[in-house]
Amino acid sequence: MAACVAVIAKENYPLFIKTIPTENELKFYYTVHTSLDVVEEKISSVGKNTNDLRELYLGLLYPTEDYKVYGYVTNTRVKFVVVVDSTNASLRDNEIRTMFKKLHNAYVDMLCNPFYKLGDNITSKGFENIVKGMLQQD
Amino acid sequence: MSRQGNRAGDPRKVNGELFTLTYGALVAQLIKDYENDEQVNKQLDKMGYNMGVRLIEDFLARANTGRCNDFRETADVIAKVAFKMYLGLTPVVSNWSTTGDEFSLLLESNPLTEFVELPPGHSNLNYSNLLCGALRGALEMVQMDVDVRFVQDILKGDNITEIRLKFIKRLEDAVPVGED
Repeated sequence: MAACVAVIAKENYPLFIKTIPTENELKFYYTVHTSLDVVEEKISSVGKNTNDLRELYLGLLYPTEDYKVYGYVTNTRVKFVVVVDSTNASLRDNEIRTMFKKLHNAYVDMLCNPFYKLGDNITSKGFENIVKGMLQQD
Repeated sequence: MSRQGNRAGDPRKVNGELFTLTYGALVAQLIKDYENDEQVNKQLDKMGYNMGVRLIEDFLARANTGRCNDFRETADVIAKVAFKMYLGLTPVVSNWSTTGDEFSLLLESNPLTEFVELPPGHSNLNYSNLLCGALRGALEMVQMDVDVRFVQDILKGDNITEIRLKFIKRLEDAVPVGED
């Protein structure tokens, strides 16, 4: 389904990145990094308008020929970025939304672990398993 | 005194997640304060003991159970009435020893440990040790010296959480020595 899932803290450093096993993983890391600019642009632009409630799901950030990048920002400025293969045309907007919802729920559950310090890298097995479920190639 | 709006029933009821997060914050702070897991376990047990000696009064007032005639009855009351009243779940009483003075409480889920994952390096930590202390304290106030310990723990990788209670002796003149 997804090729890469990333969780980025509000200070814009990565908390968690997982990709499908491939030789050029760096390409995904680079993509996630550049997509941060688009995310910032989206969240700052809505702030300048009327006090419009920004939706958490940002939608398609930008498409390239190989893959599409989707974004999601929580109210605490924690960002989720998902990179999916363009060839997988059957993925609809709704499915991406559910994927982000699952990610957000998993993130919140992991936060409730009293041993997790805010801002640490994410090492929770539960969270990793949920992400692995999303990365499975069928 | 302001009236709390639509709060029906027992005003002492509190949200379950708040309870879990509070206990989690407590254990996390203890880990930061003390160097090793054994110390933390001991502190949790002490705190549980202090809670237990007070909780027993509340329990006896609310439960209306009479005196238990033997240890088996005690086990049933603990599992079916006490745990139900305070944690909302009913553990299974099992693994009775041949002499009838030792048994296990099996808990499939533990409200104290929702969302918790033990960090690496703390495999000796009995996260819910407060429960053991509370049981020990409460039983001491009804003249029973009981040793309570964890045998299995879901947090440590087992399938089920198991607490073992062993009856040591009956206490006469049960005035608990103050802990320092």
